[in-house]
Amino acid sequence: MSGARLLGGSGPAATALMAGLAGASALGALALLESGQRGLVLAAVIAVFWLFSWRLTVNLAALEPVGRAGRTVLGILIPLVFGVTLLFLWEFIVRGLAVPSVLLPAPSDIGVRIANSLPILWADFVQTYLKAVVAGYVLGCGSGFLVAVLIDRSPFLKRGLLPIGNLVSALPIVGVAPIMVMWFGFDWPSKAAVVVVMTFFPMLVNTVAGLNAAGAMERDLMRTYGASSSQSLVKLRLPAALPFIFNALKINSTLALIGAIVAEFFGTPIVGMGFRISAEIGRMNTDMVWAEIAVAALAGSLTYGLLSVAERAATFWHPSYRKA
Amino acid sequence: MRKLLAGAVVALAGLGFTGPTMAQDALTLQLKWVTQGQFAGYYVAKEKGFYEEAGLDVTIKPGGPDIAPEQVIAGGGADVIVDWMPAALAAREKGLPLVNIAQPFKKSGMELTCRKETGIEKPEDFKGKTLGVWFSGNEYPFLSWMSKLGLTTEGGADGVTVIKQGFNVDPLIQKQADCISTMTYNEYWQVIDAGIPEGELTVFKYEDQGVATLEDGLYVLEESLNDPAMVDKLARFVKASMKGWEYAAENSDEAAGIVLDNDMTGAQTEEHQKRMVGEINKLVDGSDGTLDTASADTTVEVLMGGGSDPVITKQPEGAWSSVVTDKMKELN
Repeated sequence: MSGARLLGGSGPAATALMAGLAGASALGALALLESGQRGLVLAAVIAVFWLFSWRLTVNLAALEPVGRAGRTVLGILIPLVFGVTLLFLWEFIVRGLAVPSVLLPAPSDIGVRIANSLPILWADFVQTYLKAVVAGYVLGCGSGFLVAVLIDRSPFLKRGLLPIGNLVSALPIVGVAPIMVMWFGFDWPSKAAVVVVMTFFPMLVNTVAGLNAAGAMERDLMRTYGASSSQSLVKLRLPAALPFIFNALKINSTLALIGAIVAEFFGTPIVGMGFRISAEIGRMNTDMVWAEIAVAALAGSLTYGLLSVAERAATFWHPSYRKA
Repeated sequence: MRKLLAGAVVALAGLGFTGPTMAQDALTLQLKWVTQGQFAGYYVAKEKGFYEEAGLDVTIKPGGPDIAPEQVIAGGGADVIVDWMPAALAAREKGLPLVNIAQPFKKSGMELTCRKETGIEKPEDFKGKTLGVWFSGNEYPFLSWMSKLGLTTEGGADGVTVIKQGFNVDPLIQKQADCISTMTYNEYWQVIDAGIPEGELTVFKYEDQGVATLEDGLYVLEESLNDPAMVDKLARFVKASMKGWEYAAENSDEAAGIVLDNDMTGAQTEEHQKRMVGEINKLVDGSDGTLDTASADTTVEVLMGGGSDPVITKQPEGAWSSVVTDKMKELN
């Protein structure tokens, strides 16, 4: 294949070429930055890097690997390349334009800070995530689920409790958090309380909707089998409600993390992700703030991933998992 | 028609006599906290026309719980900020070139207020107790003090448990902390107003403990001092502001009223502001705005003496300048 065709084409050879060119231009930009050169030459090299990376991602997306392993690897590779490109662009732009670190630190500074602060980051993670978020999440989702089952049994509760749940969900967290601190003290129980308030309603609404999702034919079938209402609940309606329940669990995992971090802004012992973010921004250590953000993003993504895996295992029968 | 023209000429001439003849220089001041008696001097100077007389058009921006004046000036939102020296020095070490140009507050108003029933009578009794501290730049004097006392802030029996309190006195009233951070002019009176009598409180003033640091001072970015026109503007600004502080010292109730009129939130009360202005006047103590470099050196010593976790690690260079106050004294 001629050089021009390789540059413009797709396929494994072209992709490899793009990868090489993108890598070379990234190294070139870094070298220019190290030597203190800023200006049109640097801007040109950055633009070239971005073009090659874009082309690389397009080529990767167009590839059609044969085996399952190949497909999995590609599935990870494309977002990875895209993410790395963004990180490089961030680095080049911040250093090239000499953006003050109090406004936006470079990814390299953030990486160094993460490497140097692992004990602190771990202690904050334990305080906020493993204590406040997990406890609040379990309590909030658990109570939402139980109340939904109770509501399902009693039309009186359905009429009375659902609107109140509606009200509770509308309470702004920045109003609820200081009150919880006053009631439950400064330590993690008050943060768990905030998480409970935030996660209760989505779980409640989704479970109620899920319990009504079982089809009329299936419910009639259970009646013909002489099933009692609790047998029908356990064997038909709860499994049918699982997609909705997992939906709520996934939403709540995000809300729980937000709730715990924001609640820490209002009163906390001197450990915790929310505390670290607010204290370090006051000291203008923006790289530490970004380090905490990175930890939070990682924790949130891992949780969401775990829930998705559990969902796949429990609701494999759902039409959404069918391949065309 | 003739009468109309004559009338228009007279009106225009009249307009020409209302304003000062020189053009007004614009200047933006970012306060460290919300509109309150702590900044009475600046509001008085604006209201009484001292800034206008000096040819300045000053915009005063109130601060608040999540507004760090250092970030505002770094982002270009203000020309001069009111800040405390520890936070300014820490920012300077981080690469933000703040310079102190004037120091209206001679004394520090920071203190730790404890309930007598906790049995704390002297600083050594802090061991094993729970202390409330503000953060966002206000924690430095406390950390230095704990280091001086040899108490770790990690908690446990040999140290103190620190909680990050909000800007209120609830932790003391709810008994969630044994001691809380208060200012002589603000939160201390909130505790009194909440119903805890003075007799039930033990107060430790940072001034008495030898760990006081300089508080409200005026700071600008270093590059402002390279421009002679800007230095002149700042000199006029400091002179007019100190005139405002003088006026507030002599007419504290009127100053409180002016602060209230400028409070956009409506959250402040007359009684609280009158008390605050009275206490603030004690901290200004007749200062003419000049920074006492000996006090500045003491502040640096307190901050660097932080043991294993000093607030600043290097002796600051060029962190304060008398250029503006010298120019101010040349002005008539």
